[in-house]
Amino acid sequence: MSDNALVLERVCKRFGDLKAVEELDLVVPAGSIYGFLGPNGAGKTTTLRMILDIYKPTSGSISVLGHASAMAVRERIGYLPEEKGLYKKMKAWSIIAYFATLKGLSRRDAKNKAFELLERYGLKDFANAKTEALSKGMGQKVQVLASIAHDPELVILDEPFSGLDPVNQQVMEEVIQDMAGRGRTILFSTHVMSHAERICDRVVLIAKGRKLIDGTIAEARRTMPRRIRIETADAIGPLERVAGVTQVLRLGDGEATGAVGERPTTRWELRLAEHGDPQAVLQACFENGINLRTFDQTEPSLHDVFVHVVGDEAREASFR
Amino acid sequence: MNNALLVATREFGENAKTKGFWIGLFLFPLILLVAVKVPRFLEDKAVPTRDFALVDLSGSFGSVIANGLRRYEVRKKQEAFFRYTQNHADSSKIPGGGEIDFEKLPADMFDPAKALERLEDQNPEVLDLLGTEAGWAATVEQAAQFLKEDRPAFEAPRPRFRRAELPAGLIAESDDADAIAEKLRPYLLGKSLENDAGGKVELFAAIVVPADIEKRVADGMLEELLAANEPRGGIQYWSANLADNDLRDLVQKSVNEDLRQRRFVSVGMDPAEVRRIQNATVPMASLNPKKAAGEEAVSAADVLRQWAPVGFVYLLWVAIFTVAQMLLSNTIEEKSNRIIEVLLSSVTPGELMMGKLLGIAMVGLTMIGAWILSFILVLKSQAGPEAEWAGRLFEVVQSSGLLPLFALYFILGYLTYSGLFLAIGSLCNTLKEAQNFMGPVMVIMMVPLFTMMFIPRDPNGTLATILSWIPLYTPFVMMNRAAADPPAFEFYGTLVLMICTTVVMLWLSGKIFRTGILRTGQPPKLLELLRWLRSS
Repeated sequence: MSDNALVLERVCKRFGDLKAVEELDLVVPAGSIYGFLGPNGAGKTTTLRMILDIYKPTSGSISVLGHASAMAVRERIGYLPEEKGLYKKMKAWSIIAYFATLKGLSRRDAKNKAFELLERYGLKDFANAKTEALSKGMGQKVQVLASIAHDPELVILDEPFSGLDPVNQQVMEEVIQDMAGRGRTILFSTHVMSHAERICDRVVLIAKGRKLIDGTIAEARRTMPRRIRIETADAIGPLERVAGVTQVLRLGDGEATGAVGERPTTRWELRLAEHGDPQAVLQACFENGINLRTFDQTEPSLHDVFVHVVGDEAREASFR
Repeated sequence: MNNALLVATREFGENAKTKGFWIGLFLFPLILLVAVKVPRFLEDKAVPTRDFALVDLSGSFGSVIANGLRRYEVRKKQEAFFRYTQNHADSSKIPGGGEIDFEKLPADMFDPAKALERLEDQNPEVLDLLGTEAGWAATVEQAAQFLKEDRPAFEAPRPRFRRAELPAGLIAESDDADAIAEKLRPYLLGKSLENDAGGKVELFAAIVVPADIEKRVADGMLEELLAANEPRGGIQYWSANLADNDLRDLVQKSVNEDLRQRRFVSVGMDPAEVRRIQNATVPMASLNPKKAAGEEAVSAADVLRQWAPVGFVYLLWVAIFTVAQMLLSNTIEEKSNRIIEVLLSSVTPGELMMGKLLGIAMVGLTMIGAWILSFILVLKSQAGPEAEWAGRLFEVVQSSGLLPLFALYFILGYLTYSGLFLAIGSLCNTLKEAQNFMGPVMVIMMVPLFTMMFIPRDPNGTLATILSWIPLYTPFVMMNRAAADPPAFEFYGTLVLMICTTVVMLWLSGKIFRTGILRTGQPPKLLELLRWLRSS
């Protein structure tokens, strides 16, 4: 087996005039947890469907577990679609077992596996309940279990966290990490950045069908300029001349604390060049007698990266 | 293929678990049982004895009417007794085992009721004789030697009509027909009469025969028409019930008969001779040129064979559409629940479609099988002639080769229609949307039901031939015509056309299914559909 679970090369998909996915390259190494990020309508689901061979790409090539079509290796793939649904009249265990048999498990193994999973993830008491009797969150858990019951090598999860409460989001993260712990490859899409930040080895971010970022979390963060946020009552003219500071932005007025003799403050953001040193800025403040109320040099979160990279587009899209 | 089987198994398992399936399964035998039992029950129990008043001013027809009614009751009693003997006959006591050979039984000798009616027409005095105590005793004694020892006692049917006594003094000597009718009116509208036993009686009808009735007799159609302009011109039959005309017809029939007898006498003819002449009939045999020499007579079995396909057409229709509907709602469930996507990551659309077709077909076959089985069981559970009939019917059907044809047409019809329904299902997101498509389909589907009863009368006629060549109707119409041996060219021609249509239908719906199944939003426009068919 090759080291890459999934390779996409110059993949395009059009629906009529709409370019859903354009020239997408992606390499998912075996055994990694890969986050697939992007705003609504970015082409995530379309890409995942192409990977699963539900849609055919308009052009480009896809290799899944070393095969040209996911259909050839479908027993080794697990898939949780974005829109979740179950047969209403089927029992929880039998629906998990049914999907597992479709993936090649024997009836008996499938049944055993279904009960085992339901017990492990806290749904033991609902194993014999019809799925229409389950809450939305429970139903979704059942569906997740159904998609991984055959212990697939590659698991593709489309928005696995949506609709889950914080506790169950935690359980979902555990499910993903358990699988990764056994050497499975996981590709999941989300627009909740905190999950991706916590569990992903690598992320890819697309918007309007184009790939914008592809790399580790640290690499993704680095795509954003480094920045320092300060709040002070003094003029900050001297800081603009510090080596490494590329830009100074006024963010707004600071909040009054009500202390005696307080002067009104202003919040500023200083953008740094790639090798710019925050310490140099701090030192310049001391040297020039700039009295700081706050000094914040935290690294940007994935959330910030997301908003920074696709913010305007996403907002535009949402009003379309 | 394995996956298609897994899908089929689930479809079968899940559908067989639904309430609808079990209701469908049991409803049919239940309806059947009701259909067998209820009319008999209604005839025996539910039709009340009708009380009527009779006032005869002519002085000559009162007894005639009474006599006619008596004969009618005797006939009904004989009929009931005849059925009783059939139900409790001991075949070992009957010479020849009492078996009726349907292949030999003439086609027009079906019904004991008809036979008795004919007897009454030909020789009413026999009924008078049978109506006497002695006559009845003789009938019972005659039959007893062929009946089982442990039979229940015979229960005579209640009389249909009973003459009510009017209160003394209600009608005066001087009243004419119209005056009497006026006096009876309140009783006809619900006021109750007291009979001899002190019980209350409600009048169903009143018959008033005017004094001059004999002068009013019409001798031809023209006079009859003129008389109709004078609504109270003849015998007045008063009743608020417009649906049950048995009494009216009986009265008219017996009076007419008597009138004619009198006329014959008045011109010097012997009534007995006249009746004999009137009943002269030329024997007529129905012969079928298709049968072997010496056996051309059309038997009861032949008639059954001719009509049995109608039953099969109906069964075919119900089965195909029940099952195709199931397929539709099922596909829509998967689509609206978005289960389809998970399924499609595990099976190809082709496998999914195959699995569904197969699984639901098994559901349909189970249902038909259960129906046929229960049909046989219900009829077998009926002692007597019905059971005998069921057995015969079954033999006739088996020997006619209709069953394999039924299977063939079921499979072809099912595949074609389910292809259509699958395509519709894959295009719609909700059952409501699907119903818009279903409207026109339903109209098309109704045609075989409308023509079902006409086609056996002219099985190789123009209508039947044209419909046979329309693939959507081929299974039903050809099934309908099966007993009439349609020309071989038509049989094979329509069969080939049907098979081609089925293949094309499945191919097209497969394409639509593949594209439509993942689609959300509005069902596509026709043009869009055509584009899918070309592109995919």
